Amino acid sequence: MTVDHGREVLIRVRGLAKSFGGYQIWDGLDLDVYRGEILAIVGGSGQGKSVLLRVITGLVKPEAGEVELFGRNVKTLSKQDRLDIESRWGILFQDGALFSSLTVLQNIQVPMREHLELQQAMMDDLAFLKLAMVGLPPEAAHKYPSELSGGMRKRAGLARALALDPEIVFLDEPTAGLDPIGASDFDHLIRKLQQTLGLTVYMVTHDLDTIFTVCERVAVLADKRIVRTGSPTELQRHPNHPWIKEYFCGERARAAQPVEGPRRLLV
Amino acid sequence: MLKRDHTLSLSTQARAPGFRVELKGTTFRLIASGAWTVAEATELDLALRRLRVPIPPTPEFTGEMDIAGIAEIDTAGAWLLQRTAATWEAGGLRTRYAGATESFRILIDEVQSRGNVERPKFEKHGAAQQLAQDVARALTGVWDDAVQLTSFLGEVTAGIGRMIMQPWRFRATSFVHHLDYAGLRAVPITSLICMLIGAVVMQQGVVQLKLFGAESFAVNMVAILALREVGILLTAIMVAGRSGSAITAEIGSMKMREEIDAMRTLGIDPMDTLVLPRILALIVALPLLTVLGDIMGLIGGGLMAYSYLGLDASAYLDKLHDTVKFRDFMAGMIKAPFAALIIGLVGCLEGLKVEGSAESLGTHVTSAVVKAIFLVIILDAIFAMFISAVGG
Repeated sequence: MTVDHGREVLIRVRGLAKSFGGYQIWDGLDLDVYRGEILAIVGGSGQGKSVLLRVITGLVKPEAGEVELFGRNVKTLSKQDRLDIESRWGILFQDGALFSSLTVLQNIQVPMREHLELQQAMMDDLAFLKLAMVGLPPEAAHKYPSELSGGMRKRAGLARALALDPEIVFLDEPTAGLDPIGASDFDHLIRKLQQTLGLTVYMVTHDLDTIFTVCERVAVLADKRIVRTGSPTELQRHPNHPWIKEYFCGERARAAQPVEGPRRLLV
Repeated sequence: MLKRDHTLSLSTQARAPGFRVELKGTTFRLIASGAWTVAEATELDLALRRLRVPIPPTPEFTGEMDIAGIAEIDTAGAWLLQRTAATWEAGGLRTRYAGATESFRILIDEVQSRGNVERPKFEKHGAAQQLAQDVARALTGVWDDAVQLTSFLGEVTAGIGRMIMQPWRFRATSFVHHLDYAGLRAVPITSLICMLIGAVVMQQGVVQLKLFGAESFAVNMVAILALREVGILLTAIMVAGRSGSAITAEIGSMKMREEIDAMRTLGIDPMDTLVLPRILALIVALPLLTVLGDIMGLIGGGLMAYSYLGLDASAYLDKLHDTVKFRDFMAGMIKAPFAALIIGLVGCLEGLKVEGSAESLGTHVTSAVVKAIFLVIILDAIFAMFISAVGG
């Protein structure tokens, strides 16, 4: 177990490099994700925010650099270790990535079936519980993904990501494509689940409202690496970088209300 | 997963989950320990199901879930505890939790408040009912298809009429593009297939007719068959598979991305720009490909005639000249424009029926090919009856 500044490091990324079609997107990227935090990755388009998520989860191979998950270097993992680690995280893709031929309930049970040997009744109980926890009505259980709205698909995707009670969830643009009310509800949901389940949340986002409402720490991806990390208010007060200044002190940032520290929600 | 103490790394023995029930005073206590997580849930589930629900002798007896010994808990563990507590409550035992940390408490409360929702029944029909429903759906589907196809044929005819009255509506560029794709680019594959089938039929014919000493009549058989049936049918099936599916995929993906709606709002008629150029291109291309298919079928047959019967090119051509009449050729050719019309109509109609999702696109492409091939064969059968009735 890696401990840094008194906090346990769940993910440690060092010296990552990757290029696409001759264009280098990162060169020496470093990042730490601590247990129990909500971390937002921000950055301009084409900086490789989503690709970083894919590198950490092993979907894309980096050209250079090390990725450590739960204190283990991914390069030294056996197939079984890899499976164990996969059951310790949950990923919410942009549009939910639900399996279209399965109902919502079956979708939530897919990870349980793959990794565990639970009784069907127990899986149903757990799936309905997860469904309620992400704020979906029980009627949604027997619907197919194509019958759900975009917001409901994201919630169902989150329920699937939480199926095995992971320690860390990765969210890829969780509020993109949602209306402001839906997005705000989703922010609160993430915060509440994080507190209830003791989750670590790794979030790729553009949404300033989300960042100011739920995130404790922001990592800024610019100039081919993580240029700064810090709390949203800290970055807003002392940007020290042209992109951060534009992002956190621009017109849209002024509209998003900064709060002192992450907002505590009543549970 | 919530841990009681994050600095503590549990040994395997301490992780093993367990519980026991004891009676202390007037309190039934379930004392739980270890890691109550989803990974351990299977055994815990079975053990808890086997646990007998304590029956309180007098109403002042209470229940207690003592979870001070639980080191790790997640929603599965909390759900199991909650389920047990609920059955105890149902048996008349007021049950409370003891020894929960702040974070455990939050999780258990959440599970308590979310766990007891009314569940909708999943409607499952019996096999017989399902079968009846499927049959009914298939039959009405056939009828709906027939109605839609007829009405679309009407629209296309009206569109062609409009185009004749107002020739400037004709999209020449689009027409030429589709002529190139559906016609010229289909030449290699169509030729190859027709030649191979011509050769196979000749070879089989020679082998069988030899039994009667009539092997030289195999040439007659191949010639008539190639011109009347095989040339047009094979070409039409190839075009249905190749261009029919492409038409559905192109129009369908445009429909999916709302491009067709955009066209309509810009005052562009999709009938003029998308449907007619494709159908007209097919009507021109398919007869041309059929001529080619006929020739290649005869060439394939000729190759086999040379190797099995020893007929050289001039003898083979002489024999063809004697057997084949112009009306044999026409009996095949007359079907080509109609087959092209069917392929084009079905392809465009299925494309326009595509809805929002990618699955819908896939389904409609498949059904376009299946329906087009089916209808082409039906058409061929109708023409065969018609032509023999008029003495062709």
